[in-house]
Amino acid sequence: MVPASHTRRTVLQCLWPGRRSAFALGIAIVAATVLPLAAPQLTRRFVDGAIGGEETRVLILIACGYLGLAISGQVARMLTAWLASRLAWDGTNRLRETLAEHALHLDMGYHGKRTPGEMIERVDGDVVALAEFVVAFLLDVVASMLLLVGVLAVVLTVDLRIGGILLAYCVLMGTFMVRAQRMAVPSATRVREKFAALFGNLEERLAGAEDIRANGAGEHVVRRFHRTAGEVYRADLAAERIGAGLFGVTTVGFAAGTAIVLGLAAWTQQTGTLTVGTAVLLFQYTQMVRTPFERMIDQLQQYQKALAAVARIGGLLGERRTLHEPDKPVPLPERGALSVRLDDVCFSYADDGEPVLLDVNLDLAPGETLGLVGRTGSGKTTIARLILRLYDPTKGSVRIGGVDLRDTDLASIRRRIGVVTQDVQLFAASVRDNLTLFRPGLAGDDRLREVLREVGLGEWLASLPRGLDTEIAPHSSGSGSPTGASGDTSGSDEPATVGVSAGEAQLLAFARAFLTDPGLVVLDEASSRLDPATELRIEAAVDRLLAGRTGVLIAHRLSSLSRVDKVAVIEEGRVVEYGSRAALAADPSSRFATLLRAAGIPQGDDSRVALGASPTKAKG
Amino acid sequence: MRIHPVVLVFARLVGVARARYMVGGLLWSLFFVIPILTGLILKGLFDQISGQRAATLDATLWLCAAFVAVEMLRGLTFFLALSVWPYWWHSAETTLRTNALRSILTARGPAATRLPHSSGEAVSRFRDDVFDVVRMVDSGVDLVGAVAFGVVAFVIMSSIDPVVTLVLVVPLTIVLLLTRLMSSVIRRIHGRARRLGAAVTAYIGELFGGVLAIKTAGAEAAVLERLRTHNARRRQAAVKDRLTMDLLDTATSATVELSIGLVLLLAAPAMRRGDFTVGDLALFTSYVGWLTMLPRVIGRMLYRVPQSAVAIERMTRLMASYETADDLSRHTKLWLTEQPPPALEAIPPRSDRLQVLEVDGLTAGYDGMSGVSSQATGTSDPAGSRAAARNPDSRGRGVRNVSLRVPRGSFTIITGAVGSGKTTLVRAVLGLLPATSGVVRWNGQPIADPGTFLVPNRAAYVGQVPRLFSETLRENLLLGWPVDDEALAHALRLAALDRDLDEMPFGLDTVVGPRGVRLSGGQVQRATAARALARQPDLLVVDDLSSALDVETEELLWDRIAEASRSGHGPSTLLVVSHRRAALRRADQIVVLDRGEVVGVGSLDELLRTCPEMRRLWADESIGEAQPQPT
Repeated sequence: MVPASHTRRTVLQCLWPGRRSAFALGIAIVAATVLPLAAPQLTRRFVDGAIGGEETRVLILIACGYLGLAISGQVARMLTAWLASRLAWDGTNRLRETLAEHALHLDMGYHGKRTPGEMIERVDGDVVALAEFVVAFLLDVVASMLLLVGVLAVVLTVDLRIGGILLAYCVLMGTFMVRAQRMAVPSATRVREKFAALFGNLEERLAGAEDIRANGAGEHVVRRFHRTAGEVYRADLAAERIGAGLFGVTTVGFAAGTAIVLGLAAWTQQTGTLTVGTAVLLFQYTQMVRTPFERMIDQLQQYQKALAAVARIGGLLGERRTLHEPDKPVPLPERGALSVRLDDVCFSYADDGEPVLLDVNLDLAPGETLGLVGRTGSGKTTIARLILRLYDPTKGSVRIGGVDLRDTDLASIRRRIGVVTQDVQLFAASVRDNLTLFRPGLAGDDRLREVLREVGLGEWLASLPRGLDTEIAPHSSGSGSPTGASGDTSGSDEPATVGVSAGEAQLLAFARAFLTDPGLVVLDEASSRLDPATELRIEAAVDRLLAGRTGVLIAHRLSSLSRVDKVAVIEEGRVVEYGSRAALAADPSSRFATLLRAAGIPQGDDSRVALGASPTKAKG
Repeated sequence: MRIHPVVLVFARLVGVARARYMVGGLLWSLFFVIPILTGLILKGLFDQISGQRAATLDATLWLCAAFVAVEMLRGLTFFLALSVWPYWWHSAETTLRTNALRSILTARGPAATRLPHSSGEAVSRFRDDVFDVVRMVDSGVDLVGAVAFGVVAFVIMSSIDPVVTLVLVVPLTIVLLLTRLMSSVIRRIHGRARRLGAAVTAYIGELFGGVLAIKTAGAEAAVLERLRTHNARRRQAAVKDRLTMDLLDTATSATVELSIGLVLLLAAPAMRRGDFTVGDLALFTSYVGWLTMLPRVIGRMLYRVPQSAVAIERMTRLMASYETADDLSRHTKLWLTEQPPPALEAIPPRSDRLQVLEVDGLTAGYDGMSGVSSQATGTSDPAGSRAAARNPDSRGRGVRNVSLRVPRGSFTIITGAVGSGKTTLVRAVLGLLPATSGVVRWNGQPIADPGTFLVPNRAAYVGQVPRLFSETLRENLLLGWPVDDEALAHALRLAALDRDLDEMPFGLDTVVGPRGVRLSGGQVQRATAARALARQPDLLVVDDLSSALDVETEELLWDRIAEASRSGHGPSTLLVVSHRRAALRRADQIVVLDRGEVVGVGSLDELLRTCPEMRRLWADESIGEAQPQPT
């Protein structure tokens, strides 16, 4: 962990708008406070003037002055709000980007434990809470404080005694309101929680509407909803009563304050030391006290929330990556197929220490392909992740192209090792962005079209309404999602999006891998059967991708193994069998051969032909 | 003549708790009108102070006391109003929400087609649209109060100085016009800011959802650059949003100041003459502040009526096609202060026991999205299939012209590749998806609405992406079905969940679901199976268990169900989606689907001889299953 002071500094650095902007904002805030403070002075002169028989011309001049002052005060307030929200957005955008960048560079170990929803909360939710507080702080707390101090100062200069009483009274009201707010908070929180529960329940029920209907439980769920609605009502009623009671008391309190000041003014005026205009002035100033109080106290709660948000932001910034890059990285060979070598590799996740891999040794010459076979959880995926350097082994070494992955830089690894995962991660973005992953410089459109043709998506591309600019529909995760243009019927102005079927998503992932021309490909094959036509296209794409490259294939189906040179059978984190596919298949006592028998696939010397039942295997 | 939906809903919602609405409304109006008194007292006070009246300090102090008393009255009115109002408010909200919810969960016809893309979106209708409608009815009261204040204030003010009063109408009209003019602009800008904000959130979600792809491609910098673009656009919109909102506020406040300035200007000569007193000035200043409320309230009402029309329309769309705003706002029994009674007192009697279920020429969901879920990934959401179901024209794979016959006592399996339409088929049979053509018969009788007919205890369904709610396990299993714990224990045993239950901290009282104890995918699936079995259906329909259950557990489950069925304590007939060999070997009858069409029906042996697709599916068993079990 990094000390909290460091993360706090990072947060402040992001939020600080720079000296000039801060200065402009300060000026605006002062103007927004001073201008309204000056207006009542003119009312006083007007009233006294009118009573004292001043010339109409002068009175009109004063009235015009009042108008000008009042309106420029409003404009200053608006300007302050505008400046403050601009600066707050700039600052929090910087913070959001810093956080996203930091989080993105954390290891998969971190991300594996967090849902995208959680990350949204950290990177966006907390920052928004902070942004709202910053704006509110500048406008409500700072400006209100200034106004309050200003009012008190002016009243004190007008009449020391009345000012003193107003000051004492403000302290009293302030204390009361802070207490009152503390009283109201628990019940208000309860209402919010009840409402959240109501809508949380509702969301679950709507998502499970089919389960409910199919179980004939509709009326029951409606009754349960009534029950929850009743709870919300009772909590709300209690909170509203407390809130209303406090509002009532506050109102009376401020009225009493006004009455006291007015009574005093009347008394002083009768003794002859105060003009009528001054009485009006005192009245207006007393009226100005309430709003800043209310605003500041509202912010107390926001302050708590913002503090919590800052703490969580600090927590995220305090996370450190565990993969360290060397000072002088040795790049992987820039061209050609890469060799793969795992020496006595052990691995366990940092949080539980349970060994996932034990003394794994694998060796692949450039251009060879390896099939990893094993039950779910045996450690196949972990081996793939070590080869991609998403983790470092706890013992032993992973060498690609002769270079220990710990001695090279990540950029070189990402450039030279391609990967196609089972769950294809697609983005709600254009086809182009999905292929290049938002890197416009990676490949031109012609190259993209060529690659799509190469993986068998040429016709698909031609069918898209806007070609490479077509947006892919959100949620077509590709992990089984379907084809189907989802022209939104709600008539929004969004561009038409297309859904992507599981097969198409797989092929897009192949296209991604082709674009960088890697020397080693890690391929996690889809575990479910697709329709025969799509399977054919995918198999063709696999063949093309593996041609001239080293390949590590996590196989879920035996037929896929027909294309590999070597097979490793993994069981509970160990390589229990490793050798050339042909040799293992020919040895009746091998696990691999047992597997083939269990699946009812005939084998023998001619296993390649028997296995390669699929028509794409013509290259044999 | 047809009543406009907004008028209808307005009247209905007033009526949900009419007495409360009336009393509350009266109190609110009073709350609005009381400042009239405050103004009069201020006038008296300042006239006293300025010596316009024969002044005694005593009288002044009495007026000060009256000032406090009036504010006290106002505070009390507020408190009383808020003691009455929430009952009306919650009654109105609950009426709309339960009517829509009841329709989604019980009305005829499939509900899937009515729900929007995501359940979050549906919830926002239940929350925001309902709020908008109820607030519209609520603002009716504000309108009455503000108008009452306005009328009285104008009468008093014109009795003092009609000219100044008349001139004040000008700035008030300006505020009204401004509110009207700006409201559409504000809404547009606000909508844009919200959209762009949502875009940032969605992008961040995607970014971390696809973090593996980004990292393995080394695209971090590019992805952040895109975030920067999204951020910048959102900032622009958000600042503009804030500015326009402030603009309206400022305009209103400026109008108050402008009005006070106008009063000063116009009253200056009269004040010099003594016709317009300092007290009059205080009264005018005080009323002007409250009067600007009038155009704001009118403007808001003018904006809320069309907004409510849209909200009502959107809510109605959640309901069945034959339902209208009339059904949405229908008065229904409410239980805000007491516990509602159970929906089902006793298990409904059985009459027509299943002899045979027939499906004839069924075509459904010919759009592809519905075939999706054959491989549940936990992330795949039924919302996806719902979305697609709305676009039956788009290309894809549903099922076409499927016929099958499921006699009592049989074990029928539907099998096929991903996207072949297995799930679509069972969902269409059960009426969860609309069928474009074809008929389903129960003992030879066509079923008019399968969605409400094929329910317990005739049929029960274990879905692809099973859902547990954040409630106790007992509530999740029963969902109001009136059986005792013994019957439940039997169902749990059949579903092979009995041993898992022993390990749960509070047994059946353990809170599960998204906000409770996390169960494994297999446990969730078996729990939903237990839920179906507890209802002792004649026909049990099960969509693919293989995604979450290992082979042995699935075997155990089929064994137990088969055994119970033989002894008459389980479902007599099974219709199951599966591609596992273990299940296929048990089946009396297998239906093979390929791209939405039946390509083979028969026993496993027959099909392996005659159906190439069956051979393909059978031969290429996944490695995980073919693997000899470790000992």
